[in-house]
Amino acid sequence: MKFLPYILKNVLRNKLRSVFTGLSIAVSLFLVTVLYAYINMQDEVGKESEKYARIVVTAKQGLMFPVPIAHLDKVRAMQGVKAASPLAWFGGKYKDDKIPFAQFATDTSAIFTVLDEFTVPPEQLSAWQKDRSGCVVGEKIARKRGWTFGDKVVLKGDIYPVNLELTVDGIYDGPESSDREMLFYHYEYLDELLKQARSQLAGNAGTIFVKAQSADMLPSLMTQIQARFASSDSPVRAVTEQAFRQMFTEMLGNVRAYIRNVALAVVVSLVCVAGNAMAMSLRERTREVAVLKAIGFSRTTVMSLVLFEAMVIAVGGGLVGTLGARALFTFGDISFMAIPGFAAFYVPWSTVIFALAIAAAVGLASGMIPAWRAARMSVVDGLRKVV
Amino acid sequence: MVPIKYNIRSLRNRWVSSLMTILGTGLVVWASVLAFGLADGLDHTLAISGDPLDLIVMRKGATSETNSIISESTAREIDTLAGVATDAAGNKLYSSELVVVVNTPRRGEQAGSANLIVRGVPPVGKQVRTGFRIVEGRENKPGLREAITSRTMARRFVGAGLGEKLDIFDAPFEIVGIFEAGGSASESEVWTDLEVLAQATKREGVRSALQIRVNSPDDAATLMNRIENDEQFGLKAVTEPQYFLDQAQAGMAIKIVGRTIAIVLTIGAMFAVANTMYAAVASRAREIGTLRAVGFSRRTVLASFLLESLLLCLAGGAVGCLGALPLNGLSTGTANWATFSELTFSFRFGPAVLAQAVLLAVLMGVIGGLFPAIRATRMKIVDALREI
Repeated sequence: MKFLPYILKNVLRNKLRSVFTGLSIAVSLFLVTVLYAYINMQDEVGKESEKYARIVVTAKQGLMFPVPIAHLDKVRAMQGVKAASPLAWFGGKYKDDKIPFAQFATDTSAIFTVLDEFTVPPEQLSAWQKDRSGCVVGEKIARKRGWTFGDKVVLKGDIYPVNLELTVDGIYDGPESSDREMLFYHYEYLDELLKQARSQLAGNAGTIFVKAQSADMLPSLMTQIQARFASSDSPVRAVTEQAFRQMFTEMLGNVRAYIRNVALAVVVSLVCVAGNAMAMSLRERTREVAVLKAIGFSRTTVMSLVLFEAMVIAVGGGLVGTLGARALFTFGDISFMAIPGFAAFYVPWSTVIFALAIAAAVGLASGMIPAWRAARMSVVDGLRKVV
Repeated sequence: MVPIKYNIRSLRNRWVSSLMTILGTGLVVWASVLAFGLADGLDHTLAISGDPLDLIVMRKGATSETNSIISESTAREIDTLAGVATDAAGNKLYSSELVVVVNTPRRGEQAGSANLIVRGVPPVGKQVRTGFRIVEGRENKPGLREAITSRTMARRFVGAGLGEKLDIFDAPFEIVGIFEAGGSASESEVWTDLEVLAQATKREGVRSALQIRVNSPDDAATLMNRIENDEQFGLKAVTEPQYFLDQAQAGMAIKIVGRTIAIVLTIGAMFAVANTMYAAVASRAREIGTLRAVGFSRRTVLASFLLESLLLCLAGGAVGCLGALPLNGLSTGTANWATFSELTFSFRFGPAVLAQAVLLAVLMGVIGGLFPAIRATRMKIVDALREI
């Protein structure tokens, strides 16, 4: 510890170089943080959904096939079911959006019991329940699009041959890992429009989200639901919410492998870059190191001094990069990332810690060779050397 | 002009430092090339998928075939409209098709599953598509549970290989042939007979979309108007290129993410290059003084150092590009949210991608080297010569 001032002095000796190395690391680790946040966030959200004890019921043939709304009451009557709600993806176009945000037709009295991580002020909830063409939107999307109570939201149908004209009645909020960019509206409103249009899609619940009374009931409840409709015209598949989410992640393909490859390239690149800077610094200080050794500092001390210096720079840069990433995604607007799975993007603390560990490792690795060379250098040569 | 040999020798003289910088920038270029190659491959697949003389008819409001439903009777009416091309035997080149999405496991452990498109095609459907040909095995026979698919799909999905059985809604379909369709989006699909698929999925009497061949762009425009304006149909017709252009939005995310990665990493690399060049300038103060003393102008010295920085980064760029080339043509796939299914495509490192990579390297070299080079020109000759 007593060497800390000396190390800091060395870091600041060539300010420009240290700042540049730090910035190089900061910028690169910013990227690594964001990329890894994508992976960690999904794992975290998956784990979270485990504790909510929910089941998603879809048509056996997949999401493009209907789940009859008549299934809903049968599911509700089952033992172990706390609440159940239809959740039908509308996928409508809003204004000039190319990719639709999440819009679900749902049961207004059940949805917030099923998705109980969300909270809506009671007066807003009851206003919504009374308003057939009303909707409740997430706090994040409301902020992003500037929606407030009474605003009209018109959605042009893509999958469904009808358009929705909705009024914002309420805004829901929820924990950090939850998706606060969804819109919920009355299932009856959609179904009525579909019946008027004589569409074959009327009477389709899309999916049914089921909240179990406890997590240990999930396996038996899933078997029960599947068995109940196995021989009907519309057999279903019941999976945990976690498995349901995973399906979407898997659809994206081997994103994880790609992210790991990029991160690995970045880390190796940083070791080269930071190591180079460290080597340059030490080359300029050859005589000084020789003096240190001449007045009795041990090899280990000399080595650790260099290693620490490298780590201070790397971790300093890492802090700027990772905390910057977290700040940006907590307070910034990232609406351009409006694709499914990105809606609730945030940087978990686990990613910040992971990225800082990378920074420390980069510092250590980059200081290794210069430190070893400094420790091994012969004092006589060092003292004689003119740089 | 300071001879370029001077720069090359200087780089060689400090070879460890040069090599580290080349490696550092090279890896950044490598990662960027991968990102660009991914986006380019996706774009390419969608771009070559469209033939302006092929029309796709869907329900009004639907943006993809998978979201579209047309009744068989309406489909038959479209058949009678003028403008549909005919083949040599007098058959109308008009194919009404059923498209379903089937969740299928990918090959390989932990690869998960993805939705693949199974298309029920009447016999004429293959004629409507130019570039379609069977490259292995044979065509599927109408009325039988047989299917054909592309080589990529055969490699990617469980049960999609030649001779294997693919489960489509619990019904096994034997893969009897492998087809090619010029690398287009059709190569991300499994094709089977229309009636057989309708039966297997209990969707008799339902069609998803119609594929129509026309003779000329004028015919296309007339037919599109006719379909669009008839309220009774509630349908719309788009040319294939337009259809895939709309879907290319699916690739936007990949493109944005890829570009962001490249730009962020390039900025990071600029700092690294600047460091190397500052050190180069600092340790060569005497040389710079000498150059100036023997009459090289400030501007020449600036150009010389910029050139050196550029050389360094271009070497890095070359390393990055060469490192990425072995991955050219590697097939991969991602979700096409418009159709809610997997679109397979290959990494493509064409001239455009490589040019982008070189551009990044040049940016690193010029911007990273600029300030150190300016510092070199600012040195007073007398001071510089006196430095040890």
